[in-house]
Amino acid sequence: MATLRQVAIARLKARSARRHGHDSLPATIKRRRIYILPSRFGMMLSVILATMLIAGLNYNSNLALVFAFLMVSMALVTMHHCNRNLLRLRIDVTPEVDAFAGREAVFEFALRNDSSVDRRDIEVRCMTARGMGSVAAKEDTSISVAVPVAQRGVTTVNQFELRTYYPFGWFYSWTYVQESLTIFAAPAPRGSRMLPSVGAQGNAAHSETRGDEDFSGLRAYEPGVPLKHMAWKVLARGGEAAVRSYSSLAAQPEWLEWSSLAGLDAEARLSQLCLWVLECDAAQRPYGLRIPGKEIAPSGGAAHRFACLRALAAFGMTET
Amino acid sequence: MDTERVSFEQLAGISACFALAVLSRITSLPLWVPLIVILCGAIRLFTARNGRSSPPRWLVFTLAALTTPLLFLRFHTFNGLDAGTALLALMGGLKLLETKTRRDIYIITLIIYFVSLSALLDSNSFWLLAYLIAVSWLTTAALLRLTSRGAAPDWRRCFRHAGRLLGQALPLTLVFWLLFPRFAAPLWQIRSDFHGAQSGLSDTMSPGDIDKLALSDEIAFRVHFEGAAPPSRDRYWRGPVLHDFDGRTWRVTELDFGGAPALQPQGPVYHYTVMMEPSHQRWIFALDWPVHSALEAAGLTSDYTLMQAFPISHPIDVVATSYSKARATDSLNPRMRRRDTHSFNGNPRTLQFARNLRGEHPDDMDYVRAVLATFNQQPFYYTLTPPKLGNDSVDGFLFDTRRGFCEHYASAFAVLMRAAGIPARVVTGYQGGTLNPYGDYWILRQSDAHAWDEVWIDGSGWIRIDPTAAIAPERVEGEMADATNPDEALASRWQRNAGWFAGARLRLDVLREIWRERILDFDQDSQQRLLKMFRIPEPDGQKLVMVLAAAMGLVLCWLTWQVRRELDPRSNDAATRAYARLCSRLAAAGLPRLPHEGAESYAARVARQRPDLAHTVTAICRQYSALRYAAPSTSITLGQFEAAVRTFRPRHSPK
Repeated sequence: MATLRQVAIARLKARSARRHGHDSLPATIKRRRIYILPSRFGMMLSVILATMLIAGLNYNSNLALVFAFLMVSMALVTMHHCNRNLLRLRIDVTPEVDAFAGREAVFEFALRNDSSVDRRDIEVRCMTARGMGSVAAKEDTSISVAVPVAQRGVTTVNQFELRTYYPFGWFYSWTYVQESLTIFAAPAPRGSRMLPSVGAQGNAAHSETRGDEDFSGLRAYEPGVPLKHMAWKVLARGGEAAVRSYSSLAAQPEWLEWSSLAGLDAEARLSQLCLWVLECDAAQRPYGLRIPGKEIAPSGGAAHRFACLRALAAFGMTET
Repeated sequence: MDTERVSFEQLAGISACFALAVLSRITSLPLWVPLIVILCGAIRLFTARNGRSSPPRWLVFTLAALTTPLLFLRFHTFNGLDAGTALLALMGGLKLLETKTRRDIYIITLIIYFVSLSALLDSNSFWLLAYLIAVSWLTTAALLRLTSRGAAPDWRRCFRHAGRLLGQALPLTLVFWLLFPRFAAPLWQIRSDFHGAQSGLSDTMSPGDIDKLALSDEIAFRVHFEGAAPPSRDRYWRGPVLHDFDGRTWRVTELDFGGAPALQPQGPVYHYTVMMEPSHQRWIFALDWPVHSALEAAGLTSDYTLMQAFPISHPIDVVATSYSKARATDSLNPRMRRRDTHSFNGNPRTLQFARNLRGEHPDDMDYVRAVLATFNQQPFYYTLTPPKLGNDSVDGFLFDTRRGFCEHYASAFAVLMRAAGIPARVVTGYQGGTLNPYGDYWILRQSDAHAWDEVWIDGSGWIRIDPTAAIAPERVEGEMADATNPDEALASRWQRNAGWFAGARLRLDVLREIWRERILDFDQDSQQRLLKMFRIPEPDGQKLVMVLAAAMGLVLCWLTWQVRRELDPRSNDAATRAYARLCSRLAAAGLPRLPHEGAESYAARVARQRPDLAHTVTAICRQYSALRYAAPSTSITLGQFEAAVRTFRPRHSPK
């Protein structure tokens, strides 16, 4: 039974993907792509309703029939309400999320309800995880879905699901949003080796990495630089946005190299590299990454960090 | 998610709903079943209150193992309605006891719905239906609160929302009700489960039976006459005819259909419809003397009584024809004569009295008149509270107490006739009735129950004699209440006579009659009449299903529209609607509003492109802005704005 169900769902997903192509986010949920089925509870209810109807007909009791018909109609009305609960919702999500192996990747789904009725109990199902939330009339809400990440790697799904059991749990309606969601799961930051520069220069490097206050000049602004390093005065005078450079930042860029970690296996090397990336980033030292098949020039800031982590996550995986 | 634990509040809510549903069946359940249900609910609520989980499983199983055989001992089956409901109620109670998760509560809601239905299966009460719909409304609201995964909405919202859903379900219910095909015959035979009292007259009569009925205001049946109704002296509604007397109790001996002396109808003919209330007996009360009825399952017995083949468990309508007088010229068949002249040994004083009187009046009719004259001239009293009688009840009544009700007089009269060798029998039924002027029908209540006699006179046939009329003529001509002594006035009686109260009662009865006719009596024939009303030729089941499908389609379209309409963010604002109309008109004229344009900038652009519309559009758009954004006390009203939009009809191109 379960397999039959899985086959049916897989076909439905494929069909939905074929018919609706790729959604451009934010996507509005249209009538045509909301599916609805009775839940297990609804199945039980339908058996009860059928029994009620047959009893009423057999006993030729008009009052029992009124009651049975009322309950059947109620179920049909509920079906409409369940379907409506998803209709014309607008949904948006940042489709790429970074995470570390062994932790959770958190997708933040932004839901917008432009209508004048509340939408309750909206469930977002994405990969193996699900999140739940309600959107009041004409309001926004954010539903976070935390996907547990077991392994390093890049995981992509082509669609995610919105589902609701509202109002009575008799029916559930659902829809597939055709948007690729990707998790870049960097290796778990782990390792015992010291940074290459530290290893080479001994403790001397430590004093230098702490030299935050040694002003050494200005350089061009790039996103991700801490605000306290901004050269506000230069900006106020009408000049280009610039960043004060300190001796530590201006130091020799650190090269984090795959080849320097001889003696470890591939995953251990990646974990060590990941730890180094985080250490350098925290210390605001420029760093570059060199792994087989990929080289990232030395730099700093959040964007650079993400680029490095993604390179580590994607290591050894065929491009998709 | 369904395995989430339930809270005390959820449990309390659903327990209350379950209790209310079981309450509707309370009369047909053995007393200990509701007690066990209450006990289970109380234990579970107590444990929930203290934050503990449900009692151990073995307790539930032990209770189930103990109580189920008890139930079987009581009913000897689980198949019948009462037994099934009792079992269901019991299982619901035990389920309550072992409730842990939401899924358990789902099951309880289903049990609630089913118990509610079972209560309605053998009921005709509007109030019960209303009560049970209210119960399922509460249950559904509780379910709504239960199924909310996030912060549950408060109770008031749940009630409102469940009520709204029920309201939206009504049109669909009506369509189903009117058009869903009914079975002509039940799929399987229903076990008759009726343990309650049969109401009205029974097939025996002993002193004190009818005067109990006389206190009951319950309606026995209603009658509608085609044309004029017979006068009061002819409104005798025939019920069981009693032949066998054992000194105290009269009984119906055997029932045979046919063999009755043929009637030669005389006098006015009456066509009428008897609308029987369910009495769980087989008698249908037809006017004296019935000759024909249009009910297939009914027949006339040899006593001219109309009977149905099975007890009347649902309201039925019987169309019948009667003549106010009838003669039988044949002679009475010897077996019947023997039966109806048989005298019970006993009541020696009565027999002696009859022998003496018969000596003075050898002619049958003379003898009858002499007996009636005795009742009339001797101090016989008519009372609802007659003294108790001993073994020779007729002797005691005729010579000692002389106080009695119609059954005493009918019984004594028949005994006196038989003692003189005249065939006589006691007829029970109803007499008189109240006209409901608001509904053109007569109401016969249990208090109209009556007993009289029939004697066989050769050459004339059976003749109706009402000995009670000899003693208290008012009893027959007017209301029984008038005949009773003032000190026996009954609360219900004077209430009936209080003017406005009587009027209100009769009006209410019209509603009850409509309920009966339109709802309870609705069947296949009614559906066919309905189809005929819509000009559908030769209505049959297939056409009914087609009409049902079409009507359902329409209602479901309406429902879809109704449910989605609430989504439209502008639907509930008249000003926005009117503005949308303005925009669509301008769009039709080739000037669609761009998504980013506000009212004023849109008007400015229209004014540039179509100078001929500039003035009007600018004015209307300014009105809209004022309505929308200005303080409430602006000079423009919503009505003016809507009127301005209505009259605005832009042409496609400038002249």
